Amino acid sequence: MAHDVLLIEDSPTQAAQIKATLESVGLQVRVAYDGPDGLRMVLEQKPALIVLDVKLPTMDGFQVCRRLKRAPETASIPVIMLTEKDGAQATMSGLQAGADDYIPKDIFATEHLMNTLQELGLMS
Amino acid sequence: MAHRPRSPYAMQPPVMSVVIEKQMDIMIARNTARRTASLLGFSPAAQAQLAGAAATLAELTLKTGDRHELHLNGIRDGFKDGIQLSVATPWLSGAPEGNIMLALRQKVGDLVDEILIETDPSPVIMLMMWQRKDDPHKTS
Repeated sequence: MAHDVLLIEDSPTQAAQIKATLESVGLQVRVAYDGPDGLRMVLEQKPALIVLDVKLPTMDGFQVCRRLKRAPETASIPVIMLTEKDGAQATMSGLQAGADDYIPKDIFATEHLMNTLQELGLMS
Repeated sequence: MAHRPRSPYAMQPPVMSVVIEKQMDIMIARNTARRTASLLGFSPAAQAQLAGAAATLAELTLKTGDRHELHLNGIRDGFKDGIQLSVATPWLSGAPEGNIMLALRQKVGDLVDEILIETDPSPVIMLMMWQRKDDPHKTS
């Protein structure tokens, strides 16, 4: 059975691209376009992985990640932050919020995402 | 500025180098750091930390306008395995070591475990990160 991934990304274009990438390795992807919607969808059906953008309306990715990692029912779900904020400070903020990985959206993003999926045992 | 990578610790493969002379090289440095950390069995979170440190160091050296070479290599201290990032910074000759250290701590202090500056014969910045014993991704 395919692993279920929840992608939280407000840009429909980027969401479609990331969704296609994840589906290309056999993952089943649901998409939420903001933080509150994402948190609701996590509770509806616990995903095997959450891919989270930082820049989101209403509640940013750091806040969403902190909420997920503080709640006992969602704390163990791996979170990969995929983001345009790539400075040392942003990286540290993401990891301190509890993210399992922090990947800048650059030309190597897909390669790193695949590598991390493999390390998390979500693709063969 | 080219230099042969050196370390106070035993050096081991992989040994990688990235030339920093244009904006794109920052991205390449970040990518190479992640790959090196992955090869050494660091967790994705540790890979992200090291990549952030490499990008920051690359950005700092790029600002000087001179060509630099950033080296990445494995290190070992007894039973402890780690990774080292180093870059020669001759333009820091004469600058007070304490000030350099303070600036580096502010920039990358949260991302790495150790920051060293070797001043003899010429300044070399070294950043180290060690594998955690409880890291589930640790391979050795």
